[in-house]
Amino acid sequence: MVDKIKKRQGFKDLERVRAKRKHGSLIKRTIFWTIIIVFTIWTLFPIFWAVVTSFKYTGDAYKPTFIPWAQFKPTLQGWYSAFVIEGERTFRSLRNSILIASLSSAIVLFLGALAGYSLARFVFKGWKNKDIAVWILSNRMTPQVAVLIPYFLLMRGLRLLDNPLAIIMGHTVLNLPLGVWLMIDFFRDLPQDLEDAALIDGCSYLGAFFKIALPLVAPGLVAVYVLSFIISWHEFIFVLVLGFNKAITIPVVIAGSLTTKGLDFWRMASVSLIGIAPVVILAVLASRFLVRGLTLGAVKE
Amino acid sequence: MRYFYHKNLIKWCFLLPSLGYLISMAIFPLVWSLSLSFTHFLGTIMTEPQWTGFANYRDILFSDRRFWRALWFTVRFVSMAVLLELGIGLSMAYLLRDRFPGRNFLRTLFLIPMACPPIAVAFLWKIILHPDIGIMNTILQTIGFSKVRWTTSVSVAPLTIVMVDVWEWTPFVFLALFAAIQSLPIELYDAAAVDGASSFQVFRYIVVPIITPVIVTVTLIRVIDAFKLFELVFGITSAGPANATESLSYYVYLTGIKWFDLGKGTAMSWIFTLIVLSISLILLSRLRKG
Repeated sequence: MVDKIKKRQGFKDLERVRAKRKHGSLIKRTIFWTIIIVFTIWTLFPIFWAVVTSFKYTGDAYKPTFIPWAQFKPTLQGWYSAFVIEGERTFRSLRNSILIASLSSAIVLFLGALAGYSLARFVFKGWKNKDIAVWILSNRMTPQVAVLIPYFLLMRGLRLLDNPLAIIMGHTVLNLPLGVWLMIDFFRDLPQDLEDAALIDGCSYLGAFFKIALPLVAPGLVAVYVLSFIISWHEFIFVLVLGFNKAITIPVVIAGSLTTKGLDFWRMASVSLIGIAPVVILAVLASRFLVRGLTLGAVKE
Repeated sequence: MRYFYHKNLIKWCFLLPSLGYLISMAIFPLVWSLSLSFTHFLGTIMTEPQWTGFANYRDILFSDRRFWRALWFTVRFVSMAVLLELGIGLSMAYLLRDRFPGRNFLRTLFLIPMACPPIAVAFLWKIILHPDIGIMNTILQTIGFSKVRWTTSVSVAPLTIVMVDVWEWTPFVFLALFAAIQSLPIELYDAAAVDGASSFQVFRYIVVPIITPVIVTVTLIRVIDAFKLFELVFGITSAGPANATESLSYYVYLTGIKWFDLGKGTAMSWIFTLIVLSISLILLSRLRKG
């Protein structure tokens, strides 16, 4: 199409138009970059401010000073408090967060890959595949607080209150619908020919799944795992209700950094950053899949 | 073993674990909560629920003004936050459509707000917005404005929650719409420009109509998620001042868990679920077709 246009007389127009769009007038460029800079500052400022605050003494925390050494004397007291004084609690919650997020995501991945493959490759007569998939996804839309009370009673009955297992079960329910839905999408993107060829060569359905489909869909598996890991890491309500002490995760510690000892900004900042850093790094690494996953596959990059 | 390799067996063996898990851990709790919602059951002093029929629902819908207030706040919050996120996200996505140095870096940067745990977001902003010693008011005063009571004024606090939600989720809307706009062929702009269309006309008459499906999907996802607002309220204002920022999720949590009024709590959570699910149905039927 471009070649055709180039051959025509209008090519010069096109050149001009493109050049104009690329460079624009000085005013336009200024506006453009101003918007970008304002939006960048707006996005980064809270994080930046938390980092600065976490290195301040109590008295400095309330002052508008930004540059360490030049404007204020930096201190490690916020981090010392988080990692040493309250260290036991911080590390326990970090351990729980990692344990709960990685285990529940592993279950989501396992169940999701199986169900996703089944719904992407086989035909369910009677119920349509699409209906089953949409029903599964609909579970994602129910608000967490709706199942909070039965969960509490159930876990109390099973004597699983304040046990990471209860939270793992909760987070698996939270993430499984999304996991299945995305896995269907990822398996659909694979050409079926390879599996068909393997089946004709005498490979079993199980073999075709494990030896051919699963390795090919590896990027999708990573996407589902990372996404459910992040969502599980973020989740607050279940942990708040089902864990008190032994099974708390990092969001609960963040929430607790206020109630324990009043307004110590440096403590709130350092604890919040501990909760933020691991998932932000993970999200940046998996940035390619994040938008696709969060839009339920509606946007593919 | 041959049977195990059979097609029909395989497809059910693959699907049933997920279905079973969801039925036992998602549907069963909902049914249980439905049955509890028809009872009077104060968890602190009663061991057995007492059947009362629709009393809880009547109580909530006709005589609980706090519930209506929470619902009204939530609806206002959702509409304001989602509209702002959509407006800013869409215009930014269109504005940044051309390549420029640092674009990929910027895209990665925008992942940060939504990658933060919501409760941490609440605390980041709580530090900034503290009415007496927060940096925001200090800066405002330095430039010559008066202090804003971000979290302690009945009229400002709801807007503060909206603002923080906009901070957290505009990048998501931006990234989704950005990806959609990027997938349009560049010749589209060429053709429009050769014909003499202005940048805004291209946006209004070409880009928006083409990406409308994505806009609708993203909006619905945001509406459904925003309805569940909990962490920001919990962290920034604790539903204050004078319950001005009490969201539905928060009120359900208070009633059912804090006060342990299981009957009323489950009834309220069911009303809440029905509201959210009815919006979800629109999204689900769209996804079903797509």
